[in-house]
Amino acid sequence: MKKILFILLVFVVASCSKDFEEMNTNTKSPVAVSGETLFTNAQKNLADQLASVNVNTNIWKLWARYITETTYVDEANYDIVNRTQPGNAFRTYYRNVLRDLQESAVIMEEATFAAPEDIAAKANRLAIVEILNVYAYQRLVDMFGDIPYTEALKVDETTTPKYDDAEGIYSDLFSRLNTAIAELDDANGSFGSQDIYYGGDVAMWKKFANSLKLKMAITVADVSSLNPKAAAEAAVTDGVITDASENGTLVYLGASPNTNPLYLDLVASGRHDFVATADIIDTMKFYVDPRMDLYYDLAPGATTQLGGAYGYSNAYDLYSHLTATIEEPTFESMLISVEEVEFYLAEAIERGWAVGGTAEDHYNAGITASIMYWGGDAAAATAYLADANVAYTTAPGANWKEKIGIQSWLASFNRGFIGYTTMRRLDFHTFPQPPQARTDDGSTPVRYTYPIDEQTLNGANLDAAAAAIGGDNMLTKLFWDAN
Amino acid sequence: MRKIMFLLALFLFTGMQLVQAQKTVTGKITDAKDGSGIPGVTVLVKGTTIGTISSMDGTYEISFDEKYNVLVYSFVGMGTQEIEVGSQSTIDVKMESGITEIEGAVITALGISREKKSLGYSTQEVSGDDLNTVKNENFVNSISGKVSGVQVKTNSNFGGSTNIIIRGTTSLTGDNQALFVIDGVPVNNSNTNASSQRQGGSGYDYGSAVSDINPDDIESINVLKGAAATALYGSRAANGVIIITTKKGNKVRKGEDAIGITLSSSVTMGIIDKSTFPEYQTGYGAGYGPYYSGGDHPGLFEHIDFDGDGNPDLSVPTTEDASYGEQFDENLMVYQWTSSVPEHEDYGKATPWVNGAKGPIDFFNNAYTFRNSVAVDGGSEKGSYRVSYTNTTQTGIMPNSKLTRNNLSVSGSHEFGKGLTVSSNVNYMNTLTTGRNSTGYSNNILSSYRQWWQTNIDIADMESLYMDLPEGQKRNVTWNPHSLSDGTPEYWDNFYWSRYENYTTDVRDRILGNVQADWKITDYLSILGRASVDYYSSIQEERLAVGSTSRRWGISRLDAGSGYSRYNYNFRETNFDIMANFTKNLTKDLSLNAIVGWNVRRTNINTIYASTNGGLVVPQLYAVSNSINPVNAPVEGSRIYGVDGIYASASLGYKNFLYVDATIRRDHASTLPEESSSYFYPSVAASYIFSQHLKADWLSFGKVRVNYAEVGNSAPFASIYDVYSKPSPFGSTPMFSVPSVKNNINLMPERTKSIEAGIEMMFLQKRVGFDFAVYKTNTIDQILPVSVSTATGYSYKYVNSGEIENKGIELAVFATPMRRDNFSWDVRLNFSKNTNEVLSLYDDVDNLVLGSYQGGITINATVGEAYGTIKGTDYVYVDPEDRNSDKIINGNNGRYLRSAKSDETIGNITPDFNMGLTNTFTFFKNFRFSFLLDWQKGGSVFSLDHWYGDATGLYKFSEENNDLGNPRRDPIVLIDPSTGDHSAANIDPSSGGIINSGVIPVLDAAGNPTGEYEENAMRIRANWYGTDGYGVSPNARFVYDASYLKLREMSLTYVLPKEILGEGFFKGASFSLVGSNIWIIFKNLPDADPEAGLSSGNLQGFQSGVMPTTRNFGFNVNLQF
Repeated sequence: MKKILFILLVFVVASCSKDFEEMNTNTKSPVAVSGETLFTNAQKNLADQLASVNVNTNIWKLWARYITETTYVDEANYDIVNRTQPGNAFRTYYRNVLRDLQESAVIMEEATFAAPEDIAAKANRLAIVEILNVYAYQRLVDMFGDIPYTEALKVDETTTPKYDDAEGIYSDLFSRLNTAIAELDDANGSFGSQDIYYGGDVAMWKKFANSLKLKMAITVADVSSLNPKAAAEAAVTDGVITDASENGTLVYLGASPNTNPLYLDLVASGRHDFVATADIIDTMKFYVDPRMDLYYDLAPGATTQLGGAYGYSNAYDLYSHLTATIEEPTFESMLISVEEVEFYLAEAIERGWAVGGTAEDHYNAGITASIMYWGGDAAAATAYLADANVAYTTAPGANWKEKIGIQSWLASFNRGFIGYTTMRRLDFHTFPQPPQARTDDGSTPVRYTYPIDEQTLNGANLDAAAAAIGGDNMLTKLFWDAN
Repeated sequence: MRKIMFLLALFLFTGMQLVQAQKTVTGKITDAKDGSGIPGVTVLVKGTTIGTISSMDGTYEISFDEKYNVLVYSFVGMGTQEIEVGSQSTIDVKMESGITEIEGAVITALGISREKKSLGYSTQEVSGDDLNTVKNENFVNSISGKVSGVQVKTNSNFGGSTNIIIRGTTSLTGDNQALFVIDGVPVNNSNTNASSQRQGGSGYDYGSAVSDINPDDIESINVLKGAAATALYGSRAANGVIIITTKKGNKVRKGEDAIGITLSSSVTMGIIDKSTFPEYQTGYGAGYGPYYSGGDHPGLFEHIDFDGDGNPDLSVPTTEDASYGEQFDENLMVYQWTSSVPEHEDYGKATPWVNGAKGPIDFFNNAYTFRNSVAVDGGSEKGSYRVSYTNTTQTGIMPNSKLTRNNLSVSGSHEFGKGLTVSSNVNYMNTLTTGRNSTGYSNNILSSYRQWWQTNIDIADMESLYMDLPEGQKRNVTWNPHSLSDGTPEYWDNFYWSRYENYTTDVRDRILGNVQADWKITDYLSILGRASVDYYSSIQEERLAVGSTSRRWGISRLDAGSGYSRYNYNFRETNFDIMANFTKNLTKDLSLNAIVGWNVRRTNINTIYASTNGGLVVPQLYAVSNSINPVNAPVEGSRIYGVDGIYASASLGYKNFLYVDATIRRDHASTLPEESSSYFYPSVAASYIFSQHLKADWLSFGKVRVNYAEVGNSAPFASIYDVYSKPSPFGSTPMFSVPSVKNNINLMPERTKSIEAGIEMMFLQKRVGFDFAVYKTNTIDQILPVSVSTATGYSYKYVNSGEIENKGIELAVFATPMRRDNFSWDVRLNFSKNTNEVLSLYDDVDNLVLGSYQGGITINATVGEAYGTIKGTDYVYVDPEDRNSDKIINGNNGRYLRSAKSDETIGNITPDFNMGLTNTFTFFKNFRFSFLLDWQKGGSVFSLDHWYGDATGLYKFSEENNDLGNPRRDPIVLIDPSTGDHSAANIDPSSGGIINSGVIPVLDAAGNPTGEYEENAMRIRANWYGTDGYGVSPNARFVYDASYLKLREMSLTYVLPKEILGEGFFKGASFSLVGSNIWIIFKNLPDADPEAGLSSGNLQGFQSGVMPTTRNFGFNVNLQF
């Protein structure tokens, strides 16, 4: 009996395991990493989201009328319930871009660097993180209107972040961007090779940031309380992108998983989901646009580009598709470009802002940059600009908005959201309605509705935001979309 | 049953026979009813602890001191007899048999045998015969309808997983599956199905690990339902326990024939139940509507000059995977997909435009299962053994699907003297499965058949164009080519290609075993030590052949046109138990049974997943190294769990009518923060056998019981500390990311509190009886990765929060309405109603998304509702509070309005109740006929199959006539087309189209709604994909009631009578004709089995591309030598 008790005792004592906590360690994942690596991941996720044409992820190229669908036409008909694109956008921007940027900054703030170049680069790195924060938040606001901002990314404080007023967010973004620009010092380096956009070139980031500021100012040009004129003028004074070599891009690699998402969606998927729309093809034909061959291929047996009716079923083989250039795995994703900047500048002049040059100069520069970017030559650009329908002074259109709008839209090809936002901002054209439009009156949506997930996970705040913006509807105009 | 008693009795009396004796009595104990010998009857010398038990044939021999004079014969369920010995040296005893099942001894938690009447909680047994007569690939399927309080959801996937829940869902996001314990060894029943697979993404159902257990080795199972019954197991048994007792050899007396051989063989054939497969329309072929040519046949293409005559020829729009196209007309010659395939006889030819001669149903084969087993058992005075081997070979209804399982089981025990008995049980299982069916939406043949299909396809063409091509020349020639000039598959591969080229293989090798030593130290104290291991290694391989359509593949989940992936999963769980058992009569009336024990559990799971990247270089070489792009780093997983538990229990019995049990267990779990990693769970139970005091002729037995228990539960692995995830680097630039789940350093154990009361009664000499239980279970402080707004930067956050309440009643009734010499009729009924309510979640969150599905559907836990609300878009009703009020239709387009929000509650997966009814008829003692009806009332299921299939014009209803008696697909004919008015007044009687039933708002002169409604009369076209389904209908339209009534099992068994067998070679023989899932007598879900689904687990209530159910018929032979 005593022996038994002894054995029992030994066992019980032995069972107070000392290694218990170690057992619960995830031995395959790190607990500490450098902030720079998180920054890179945010860059990659952001660029992927911008480039994608996946119907679950990015449907702006549809809504901007650059392409339409073949068999499954729901997204072209503004169905964003079935595939929950707004929720996917929230997840990508907040979780995969902004959260990693936030973590990156927190780690870098606390890090003590040893190498002198790292110590010198720290301020630049933090400023660049801030610039991408502003870029991502602006995109979110321009998609939805009011969004979680001041309470966002604070999981320990709240899991139901309130939605902030979109105009207030813009105001704060301007201020954050100004601070970041002021912090940038191109005498020092930044991320080096961990920066997969500019390779750590701080001077380039400065141009990127100022171009972003110009873009934001133009977007809210009609909201005088945000002082867009002053912001735009300051940005130009400080220096915006003036050459395609300064474009903010991510150049992809040849091998999966680092190819352009377009390559995956259009080539690797083996699918035939998209064709050109009649809307853009007919427009380009009207302008005899030299970029038509550079944007779209010829359907088998066709002698000219043909576009399908937007939102209807279209046989893939009957219509034009995106060209092989765009389908290359290494094709770059564009965050901000010189032609975009030039069109903003043309617009700024028309609005009476002191950004230098004439509207026509910038208009011509934008068109030329676009043609050159897509592989056209200067002669083609010159000829195009000489056409009475294109030349700034003679081009058709009730006002500058229509002139700049249509050419900006043509130049923004492959940048769905920019094209779509140009449509919203400048209202240059009315396209025919698709047959099964999910909007109440059949017209093109002017915003995403809030994610379905938010209805259940953050319902009270969402309801408040919906009330504040005038209803969570695809046809509720954003605060800057007044005119 | 008696065998178990025999073993137990052996166990209890081992080591008690060493007493010096002066007098010997021999005899035979027989059943008063049929005269057969009863083994295992305890024979005790009154006033001593001297005793023995009767042998296999009922004989016994006992020696004792002459001063004692009374022998006590007892057998559980047969009462006790005392006989004065006097001068007799031979005493034969007849014992009255009762209904042993309800009063006998049962195996309870930790393998402790208890008299059932003494238990203060609910358990229910199923005998091996009841499980095995009608065999299933997974024996868990055989439990359905046989135990109250247990909900079994079989699923029709080949080798697929089975969901088994006892007394409702208690954990919001944790595992709710019952724990299986085989001979004291916990058996892992995890399923490795990916989270995306469970939510309808492409993948496979790799089945439940517990299906490895050979049903032929099961002697009986006992279901411990409530927390009080399972409290000794600690946290892991919070969901109830299924205790499996395997067959063992029997110890015999010296000189007896010790060896027995059992051979059994069965063959089963499964035939598709057509009520679980689509009924197709047969009038119209490929297309999404009349879009393609402008001519006489707008549903067909005519832009290809196929025969070279300069004129465009009519051809089928082969890219279109829908059947809203041209009406069939055998005189209409068109170019079809086969026209461009050189190997096909229709090459270059136009063929009649007709419905496919062989439709999807002809794709399937009959399923066959062959099962052969041999078991040898035997024993000596000192020990016993049993060896069994079973081979199961199963082919599924899909071509190229096969499951082979080998089970080898060895068990034995030996008595070493001085009270020490050592026993061991080792099982080796090997399961090899080839060609599992895809599940979910993408790349699933069934989602084509149910959602995206052309009714003009002849399956025979697909078959011959794959099967008849010589090896090496096989191509992916599909019905869905990009065009007639470009045979690249558009969305769907040739289905034979899919089955024979893109097949899965998976194998699992498993060893499950234990060694146990029982040491009877004195007559009141014994010690048990046990070491057990459950180890398996499995590999799952998936293939995508060069030439297939692209799909998301491998680690990156990026599109690739070919590929290979492998998932190695190694599991090991060890348990060490030591338990001291003290049993003594404290006074004449008061008995005590006390147990103290200690358990050490370690679980180690190691996984690695590797895949090709971007495709295969060399076709048909399925190796990770054969990758086009450099491979992504394999995904490694390493999880170690440890739980140390100490426990104690005490049972007091007073005069055999009042029993009180108390248990306590303390667990120390490795997955919780140190300061909260140890926790206690107590239980207390009492039972009172009132029939001891309420003597009445009509009452044979009566007992009431009541209990209270708490059980805890620890956290998932590594959910305390935050780590970073590592995406593939961008070239040579490393990247890290914050993961999607926010861990929590402050986690506490979750806790379930339950109370239960029950009453058991038997009447009329135990011919009728029932067991009724009521219970209430509250699970609080749940550890859950609650979904959070992604604006937090995370998708989930671990919290301790939320409460679920389960309240329910269970009723098990048995009766023998008729008992004659040559006929008896037995009835057993099991009824369970569980009411589940989510009481709270997290902060002010009142909804937790458990799963998100295509179609915008979510499965949720919603405060104030039962677990598993289905949410999506609903109709808009005239009375928003009343879903039975009229549905509002958009007056502009004649379509149903859809709710503005997508989180309307449109269903709930939890059923109202389940009931099983077994009737057994015995004729001439040798024939037994039995059938089981299984009924589920309520629960909802969303059908993605109809969500899409009703839009693509596949189903029968879409070609039926409309209210005017015309084919609904005919165009709408307006009397005055110039007005465009689609209301009744302007519709020609010859018109096609349909009118959605509902109301439209009445507008005033200014066009504003008046608040009044009128009957909708607007006719809409019904000849295109925009008529119904995913594009235009609310989700609620495709939520169906999941009720069913099934004839689950039927069997006719003939046992060869002893007279025929004689004393010869055969000791026994029986033959059975059996059937399972024979008839779905009633269901509300069209074209599918309401039980069909994606996987076991918490996410149910969603169907996409589900397999049809088979009716299974079989024949069993069982021979004993």
